[in-house]
Amino acid sequence: MTQDKALVELLYSLADDDFILAYRGSEWLGLAPHIEEDVAYSSINQDMMGHATRLYRILEELGEGKADEISHLRKPEQFRNAILLEERNGEGTYLEKPDFDWAFAVVRNYFYTVHKKIRMESLRKSSYEPLKDTALKVSIELQYHLMHWDMWFKQLMTSTDEAKRRMTSAIERCWIEMNGVLSLGPMADEMTSKGYVASEEDMREKWLTHMKKTFEEINAPFPKRLAMSKGNGRQGEHTEDLKTALQTLSEVYETNPTAGW
Amino acid sequence: MTIETTFDRLTEEEKYEHFLNRIDAGEKIEPNDWMPDDYRQSLIRLISMHGISEIMGALPEKEWVPKAPSLHRKLAIMAKVQDEMGHGQLLLRVAEDLMEPLGKNREDIMQDLFSGRLKFHNVFHMKAPTWGDAGIIAWLVDGAAIISQSMMLNSSYGPYARALKRICAEEVFHAQHGESIIMALAEGTPEQRELLQDSLNRWWTALLMFFGPKAKENASTSHVDKNMRYKIREKTNEELRQEFFTKYVPRIWSLGLTIPDETIHFDEEQGLWVYQDPDWSEFKQIVTGNGPQSKERLELREVSYENNRWVREALNPTAKAI
Amino acid sequence: MSDTTKEGFYSVYEVFSKKTDKAPLQHQFSLLAPNEEMALIMARENFFRRESVADIWVVKRNNIRSMTQEERETLKRLDDKDYRETKGYGYLKKKWRKYQQEQFTEENLLSDSKGGKAE
Repeated sequence: MTQDKALVELLYSLADDDFILAYRGSEWLGLAPHIEEDVAYSSINQDMMGHATRLYRILEELGEGKADEISHLRKPEQFRNAILLEERNGEGTYLEKPDFDWAFAVVRNYFYTVHKKIRMESLRKSSYEPLKDTALKVSIELQYHLMHWDMWFKQLMTSTDEAKRRMTSAIERCWIEMNGVLSLGPMADEMTSKGYVASEEDMREKWLTHMKKTFEEINAPFPKRLAMSKGNGRQGEHTEDLKTALQTLSEVYETNPTAGW
Repeated sequence: MTIETTFDRLTEEEKYEHFLNRIDAGEKIEPNDWMPDDYRQSLIRLISMHGISEIMGALPEKEWVPKAPSLHRKLAIMAKVQDEMGHGQLLLRVAEDLMEPLGKNREDIMQDLFSGRLKFHNVFHMKAPTWGDAGIIAWLVDGAAIISQSMMLNSSYGPYARALKRICAEEVFHAQHGESIIMALAEGTPEQRELLQDSLNRWWTALLMFFGPKAKENASTSHVDKNMRYKIREKTNEELRQEFFTKYVPRIWSLGLTIPDETIHFDEEQGLWVYQDPDWSEFKQIVTGNGPQSKERLELREVSYENNRWVREALNPTAKAI
Repeated sequence: MSDTTKEGFYSVYEVFSKKTDKAPLQHQFSLLAPNEEMALIMARENFFRRESVADIWVVKRNNIRSMTQEERETLKRLDDKDYRETKGYGYLKKKWRKYQQEQFTEENLLSDSKGGKAE
């Protein structure tokens, strides 16, 4: 076991964010608004799952256990992802009557990706070398993700009244949980003072600046205060949605974690 | 500004003859070329079914995407199912261009699918309850699909041949993805082997049915003859099935698995595989849209398509102008 | 009328790409998208998931003037234009030999450094 708890916590939050959101994205596979988008969206999810894998491998090297094990066998309270990212795509499941909300997918991914970019820019200067390397690699793929979600966000926000209505309600929904994504958790100060990552305040400011620019550009009213209503995933607080997600994603692996799959 | 040339002055019969000469000379027919109606109809039927089968075929496999048992498997199966969607995209584009002169587009294809007018490969729409199914689908179902696709690589219709070229290039990855899953199970614990054997038992009949009946009297074989005359396809159903046996039966046996057909063997004298025919009356049932899971999967597709209607409406450039 | 209203979200875009900076533009395939921004973003993952690509163009198909089958007939010509091609000047080889000179190859002619050099 490693001694540096702050580093491990940071790595878990980075990895779990990507892992859970990629999982939610993978549930969309085959169900997107059109076939071309299905293909494009899946690439983004694969990239994110790939980024999570890199981060889990760093944790593996730090003695946290095998990457597959820590991604598939931890209990919900051991996950450090933000609650916004674990929430279901909508009513129904990916297997039955998937009443998924594309507006929520677009807004959640857009908000997250803008933050991820800011976070990766900071991590490129991290004092922890493996994280610095990973951030450099991840940033390359992030450009496409950002362009993709930026396009969807702006196009839907400037289209029909119905689309605007749906988008606005998705924005409200994400806005009141977004602080959970922007949070570094209880060990924030130590993460920053050790030079692993920029401060939470700094990154939140950057995110807000980016968002203000976007909202101005499309002439949309800027939402009020950011919040974190359902709890802080960075300290292991989660919803039922994470529990069921983890059951699904570990269903096969759990039957025999020592077997080769 | 159309320039009148000799081609314009040909009679319909002469055009037809000119067309057949091109086919015989191995030329490729392109979307805007003159083609007889039955050629166009054959292509639309074949390619839209092929395309929509890829899209629908992604659904049973997709069930295993979130559940795949490791990070690597999760990534690989995501990539694979994504490719299926991508293949659907390529093929539907080819079909859509053929339908364009008839005033139809993708919206019509989707509506035909939901109304049951457009068929897909129902035989593969069974329940896929275990990870073993993910392996068998990727290994054998895809293996069967590769065999039937690659015979059309030389299709007389240019866009179809080009789409298939792209598709087949990716199928090599798919084949290995499937082999890698079943290999891990075959070399795994007794439970894992059992998982694999169960799935093989479950899918065997569907695999035989996939290639279609060999009997001449069956209605669908007249399409086969026509498609061969027009050089859209090159082999009969039975030839393809035999090819499948030759490729896969020895491999299945080599892994110590049992084929749920005690009679299957290679008859040296005939130079053919002898096997137990599946129940073709059941096949007829299935192809008319009654695959065990066809309804559920179709519903999944329809629910999501309707759910996202607002997105397509929102971004419809002609609607926005109003 | 029905054409434009029906097309809508499903407009056809042709996709072209360059494999490297130096490579010529090549047609790849087509896709459906409601506008060119989306067409461009969809193009990359639909057609270049594995191969490298240096540049992508999308063009709305309506904006392409292509040839009809009749018009393509005009591309045919008789194979009697030797005077336009090197094969019409094959006899020069023998002539130069008479003067103890080699006839220039394409390589000699096009590369000035090599062209001037004696073998």
